[in-house]
Amino acid sequence: MVVSSGAGHLSDPGLALRQAEKLSCSDPVIFQLREKGLETGPMYSLCKRLAPIIEGSGSLLMVNERFDIALAAGADGVHLPESSCPADIVRKAASGLVVGQSVHSLESAVRAARAGIDYLLFGPVYQTPSKEAFGPPQGLDSLQEVCRSVSIPVFAVGGITPEKATACIENGAFGIAALGPFINPESLPETVNRYQSFISS
Amino acid sequence: MTLPRKFLCVITDEHLCPIELAGMALDGGARMVQLRRKNASGRELFEWSVRIQELCRRRDAIFIVNDRVDIALAMRADGVHVGQDDLPASLVRSLLGPDSIIGVSVSNVAEAEKARLDGADYIGVGHIFPTVSKEKTTLPLGTSPIREIGKAAGVPMIAIGGIDAGNVQDVMTAGVSGIAVISAVSGAPDPVAAARELVNIIRQ
Repeated sequence: MVVSSGAGHLSDPGLALRQAEKLSCSDPVIFQLREKGLETGPMYSLCKRLAPIIEGSGSLLMVNERFDIALAAGADGVHLPESSCPADIVRKAASGLVVGQSVHSLESAVRAARAGIDYLLFGPVYQTPSKEAFGPPQGLDSLQEVCRSVSIPVFAVGGITPEKATACIENGAFGIAALGPFINPESLPETVNRYQSFISS
Repeated sequence: MTLPRKFLCVITDEHLCPIELAGMALDGGARMVQLRRKNASGRELFEWSVRIQELCRRRDAIFIVNDRVDIALAMRADGVHVGQDDLPASLVRSLLGPDSIIGVSVSNVAEAEKARLDGADYIGVGHIFPTVSKEKTTLPLGTSPIREIGKAAGVPMIAIGGIDAGNVQDVMTAGVSGIAVISAVSGAPDPVAAARELVNIIRQ
């Protein structure tokens, strides 16, 4: 599953560090560093501190959009928003990195898969405040259509509780992605493992 | 790619279409265009950069991306300009390789020395005069520290901050290779004429 860092538009680098430290006690995840409020320099510094912590936990560290920061700080990959630099160009320019992308339509999903993206986040599947900018919920049928149309892993995102994760997997999702449920680092391992139990059941 | 002598660099503002502004700056004789747009998407920055670099190529001018080394890598920009809160210039050099132009913003001798050690091709010194283009928490440097900062950097210097046709001569006299402006061109009623006027004074 994909654990998104931070607390929406608020930026608290300390929170991402506490979350990362807690990942050593959970199943491995894709930890997506999404700190919209941070300038490039502080983002790089944070990423450089996170990289060895995440590496030790067996999880993957993905930097949102900025593959230059990912390369400079030794992160595992970059996660592109839909409005990023063209994915095929990023794929070539950042050849050593894992590249994920968020998509909000079937068309974008197919295009991203053709561009050589390694995995997708598709959503919002359900209603969620943090994804309202990406339009109304797309539902399980759209998720299924996307998952059938591409051969790379698709993570469902948007309002997915552990209980709803099962339905996403049944509709073809490889896993799920979430931000809100992980805002409290203390309960992070427990929450990840609870999601995993629904994903693998 | 080498830096020109006595040149004008025009930096995009947050309002005008960057492609149009770049075209007008080049028409007015600017030899360097820097794309700096803090709230644009990666896709927008990439597309603008490709277009502006084409315009620059036709005029033998240099295209520089502010801060976003990812965009510069993706579309192979001529170079990147980083501030003190951006990626360290030494890392930018290792990401971009030896041929790209790297500029670093500095405001004192220590930062200038660091920029040289990090492999900067030029430094942007400022802000020289009070400016409305960027929110500043420090006082303007004035022209007097320019020479000492330039000596510490040992690379060409571009002065920035509040420079206009009225004060550009003083800045050039202080020993810089060029000047960078935002509002003096983008905010002018006729940006082409404004750029041309600055270039004429710089080249004197």
